[in-house]
Amino acid sequence: MHLDPFELHEPATVEEALELAGTLSGKFDYLAGGTDLLPNYKMHINLRPHLISLERVSELRGVSSNRIGAMTRLAEVEESPDLSRAYPGVAEAVREVATPLVRASGTVGGNLLLETRCFFFNQTYPWRQSLGFCLKADGDRCHVVPQKERCYATFSGDLAPALAALEAEVEVAGPSGRRRMPVEHLYNAAGDGILRLSLVPGEIVVAIHFPESARRARSAYTKLRVRPSFDFPELGVAAAVWGAAEAPEKVRLAIGGLETYPRRFDEDTDALAGAPLTDARVRTVAEAVTRRVRPVHNTFLPPDYRRRMTEVFVRRTLSRVRAPNGSVAA
Amino acid sequence: MASRPLRTRVNGTALERTVPDERILLDLLREDLRLTGTKRGCDLGTCGCCTVLLDGRPTLSCLTLARSAEGREVTTIEGVTPAEGLHPVQRAFVERGATQCGFCTPGFILTSVALLRDHPHPSREEVARAISGNLCRCTGYTKIIEAVLAVGGGK
Ligand SMILES: Cc1cc2nc3c(=O)[nH]c(=O)nc-3n(C[C@H](O)[C@H](O)[C@H](O)COP(=O)(O)OP(=O)(O)OC[C@H]3O[C@@H](n4cnc5c(N)ncnc54)[C@H](O)[C@@H]3O)c2cc1C
Ligand code: SF4
Ligand code: FES
Ligand code: FES
Repeated sequence: MHLDPFELHEPATVEEALELAGTLSGKFDYLAGGTDLLPNYKMHINLRPHLISLERVSELRGVSSNRIGAMTRLAEVEESPDLSRAYPGVAEAVREVATPLVRASGTVGGNLLLETRCFFFNQTYPWRQSLGFCLKADGDRCHVVPQKERCYATFSGDLAPALAALEAEVEVAGPSGRRRMPVEHLYNAAGDGILRLSLVPGEIVVAIHFPESARRARSAYTKLRVRPSFDFPELGVAAAVWGAAEAPEKVRLAIGGLETYPRRFDEDTDALAGAPLTDARVRTVAEAVTRRVRPVHNTFLPPDYRRRMTEVFVRRTLSRVRAPNGSVAA
Repeated sequence: MASRPLRTRVNGTALERTVPDERILLDLLREDLRLTGTKRGCDLGTCGCCTVLLDGRPTLSCLTLARSAEGREVTTIEGVTPAEGLHPVQRAFVERGATQCGFCTPGFILTSVALLRDHPHPSREEVARAISGNLCRCTGYTKIIEAVLAVGGGK
């Protein structure tokens, strides 16, 4: 498949990239590793006449124990022993993204900003045309929830939940300067598969920053997928626990692969602080979280199964991190 | 339509040519350079048949712009094959029956060559993990893993 012609721009700095973005407003996409964008372009999904490649912007590179540049390849994160030791949940999530070949090109920034997915959307042009296009590309209705004028495409990135559970921050640069925010604030929590991000058009993800406290957390990530390689998450549960199992200071849960954005469940996990993380208390939280999530039928596994597995995976993931040795008396 | 000069090295030879911005590396190799050992399978990142080495690292040429090869070294299956005979990994694939229709084989060979360069004596698990982005519809993988292990001196 050849790509339709576009003009490629190769700025060397964030400022140059932002300037280009200003002139090409609405007519461009940023290009990082291309492992998400180029398949969509090959399928004629939402093409733009310009691509601004971030490959040469050196500020976006590099991984250390408290920062990951947005253009860092997933493979580089995987190969960083410091980072894997400091944040096991992030290391687990990275190792489970796609395949080693995709991770050689795919970046951290691209993973956070991955286009939402739906099996009526990630299809070739003739496929989509024969069924009738949908809201997310070229059309005016939704095939998943036909009575609503809204898109339910699923957020399928593995890193965002792992980072959100550790309360990591993302640094973005835009026309009006730089700002930092919690990773989960990158996303539109109103739940819209099209207007999926909170970013202002043209904004660039510069880096992930870990707060000092993230190093003290025990963290883990559990992913549900059909094949243990290649497949996107049908559910991805990240957990982090600070402090002793008998009286944790704080517990965080973040879940991806179910809705249009990765979601944290602080209202449920705050109740876990200060008292032993027994099986019974973990189960109560797992059930409460499961009651809140609303997957729809637009990925491979049916939503009812993904919901039931949410309960199981929340229990499993929390059990893995509740104590330094992974277990506590029930 | 925008084009610009590309300066790269392909299988040890310097290459300079004007390439359209939207040109994909796989198309440059197969269609412009006639290096058809690199296969087009899915064209979407889901099979590994198009694997080449970019500065030594296994890379999906179907999801890489030709521009990304600027100033870098591209190695295809043609570059791995010696003028006479076969590369040790190729020989092991033949001897161990790790190739049937052969369509996936160039990708597996390049992935394996890079693995064995970085980890000369990989374990079975390391081999399985390294090739987990390459699909084969014929062999069932056992023979492929055995071939790579044989080159690394394991079984
Ligand atoms: C076969 C296959 C399997 C996959 N499986 C998984 C999986 O299991 N889990 C998973 O999470 N992903 C998966 N992916 C998706 C993808 O490979 C990864 O999410 C990858 O990390 C995306 O990064 P990229 O650099 O290639 O992004 P690109 O494709 O380059 O970009 C993705 C989006 O982000 C924007 N963007 C990228 N970087 C920036 C930045 N710094 N600032 C502003 N905008 C930016 C782009 O404009 C684009 O909209 C899979 C892909 C394939 C082909
Ligand atoms: S959820 Fe509906 S609108 Fe969104 S991509 Fe799927 S079919 Fe299209
Ligand atoms: S052709 Fe590139 S991965 Fe299938
Ligand atoms: S030998 Fe036929 S696909 Fe692998």
